[in-house]
Amino acid sequence: MIRLTDLHVTFNRGTAMEKKALRGVTLDIKKGDFLCVIGGNGAGKSTLLNTLCGDDLPEKGTISIDNKDVTSLASWQRASYVARVFQDPMAGTCANLTIEENLALAMSRGKKRTLKRALNKDHRDLFRTQLSRLKLGLEDRLHSPIGLLSGGQRQAVSLIMAVLQPMKIIALDEHTAALDPKTAAFIVELTREIVVENHLTALMVTHSMHQALELGNRTLMLHEGRVVFDVQGKERKGLTVADLLDLFHKASGLELDDDSLLLS
Amino acid sequence: MNLIQFMGAVEIGLLYGLVAMGVLLSFRILDFPDLTVDGSFPLGSAVCAILIVSGANPWIATFAAILAGMVAGFITAWISVRWNILHLLASMLTMFALYSINLRVMGRPNIALLGENTIFTPIENLPYPHLYTMSLAMLGVTSIVLVLLYWFLSSEKGLAMRATGANMRMAKAQGVSVNKQILFGLALSNGLVALAGALFAQSQGFADISMGVGTIIMGLAAVIVGEAFFNPKVILTALIACVMGSIFYYLVRAMALNASFLGFQASDLNLVTAILVGIAMITPRLRAKILDFKSSWGNS
Repeated sequence: MIRLTDLHVTFNRGTAMEKKALRGVTLDIKKGDFLCVIGGNGAGKSTLLNTLCGDDLPEKGTISIDNKDVTSLASWQRASYVARVFQDPMAGTCANLTIEENLALAMSRGKKRTLKRALNKDHRDLFRTQLSRLKLGLEDRLHSPIGLLSGGQRQAVSLIMAVLQPMKIIALDEHTAALDPKTAAFIVELTREIVVENHLTALMVTHSMHQALELGNRTLMLHEGRVVFDVQGKERKGLTVADLLDLFHKASGLELDDDSLLLS
Repeated sequence: MNLIQFMGAVEIGLLYGLVAMGVLLSFRILDFPDLTVDGSFPLGSAVCAILIVSGANPWIATFAAILAGMVAGFITAWISVRWNILHLLASMLTMFALYSINLRVMGRPNIALLGENTIFTPIENLPYPHLYTMSLAMLGVTSIVLVLLYWFLSSEKGLAMRATGANMRMAKAQGVSVNKQILFGLALSNGLVALAGALFAQSQGFADISMGVGTIIMGLAAVIVGEAFFNPKVILTALIACVMGSIFYYLVRAMALNASFLGFQASDLNLVTAILVGIAMITPRLRAKILDFKSSWGNS
């Protein structure tokens, strides 16, 4: 169980550029929830995810994971609880390390790193099995620098890397936004499979209303740093993009004028 | 160039191979341009020399030199990561301060080690030509360090260090404490450079306050020349390439200075070095440009 209580995050506080990114977000994420977060530009969805991961520290509010208060832990200290896939395919992997080295790095996420060799036969066998499910032929290219792969391939490897070690939640930050539609669909399908198979708890930020209704079991919309609605279960079944816009209108008292949300 | 000059260049090249590996660690692996080495090389010499003339065991003196270098590197890293100071500035500060510290350590601008017992004394006493035995000894030391470093960099800890320099955000997301990696990495790097300083003092028979000037350039030259020639893709070849680059650099340097038709004299050293490093840095770009040109020509 992950509990975010009254989170406030402000950037550039006390300057002309001051931006209140989160203004009191409270959220309980149950074990096994697959939560999709939507919202327009500047709604605070990425900040919410970054705060959960420890990149942005809240000035007020707490985050607890399984009753352990992690609010003040830095991102690297939280890595044993939170696995992460970035929006930018370049951000989630090390371009000049090989595919197997990237995977080996993820193999010790949240564990004490030792002086033992990072790669051995067991690891390579595991990596090959994991990569072969992608059907991209990457299992035969373990020694290639990951920088040679396309963005979609790198996102796929990032997903595999995320689930090599146990976690409390996987944080997906618009991880299909930088990809072409066909590749994005492949990554979405892979995400669904991996989350279901491993019974993961997930928080996915997305810019696509379709995706937010189609994937997972719960949809959350943010607007100006606040939760405007949070639907799941029966209430969510049968919802369409038009219904979402309607819900948004009711909850916020605003017409949604962001074309990017309507079009996607 | 005669045999003595050739073997001398190989010996110094191997010794500076240690500096090159240190610079590879900071400059390439941690992506932390570190000028501390200009101070930690003479620091290693100073600590080692003063201990030896005070009657200490040369092995202990060498070990103490490594420790001193590690402390210097650690301080640079600490200034940079703890107080968020730009890496170049942090390392300049430490390098600058080390000049005074080195003078304090030695108590005078130079120390002669002629006739003192050094770790090379048993080798010098062997009934073989000094010319070859010293180069072999250096080859031994450099190879051992190279293997240890390779072993470390392919371990789980080493991989975390490499990720820190390659993609800090990703490293953090994988649970790597990047600050610790930089602190330890720079300590290791400067420890290696100080070891080179200690060995230099012992093999050349003196320590001098000004001997560190340009150490960073020698290290960079070795790394860049190595990369230009070997185009290393994996960590083992990167390590070997920078040692080879160092030897190559000292050979070319010796040739340039000894070729009378070129008319160089010892004081032209910095110019020759700068030209060499410049060529090595431009070559890969030029090569890429030519390939680019060729392929666009072929397609049109």
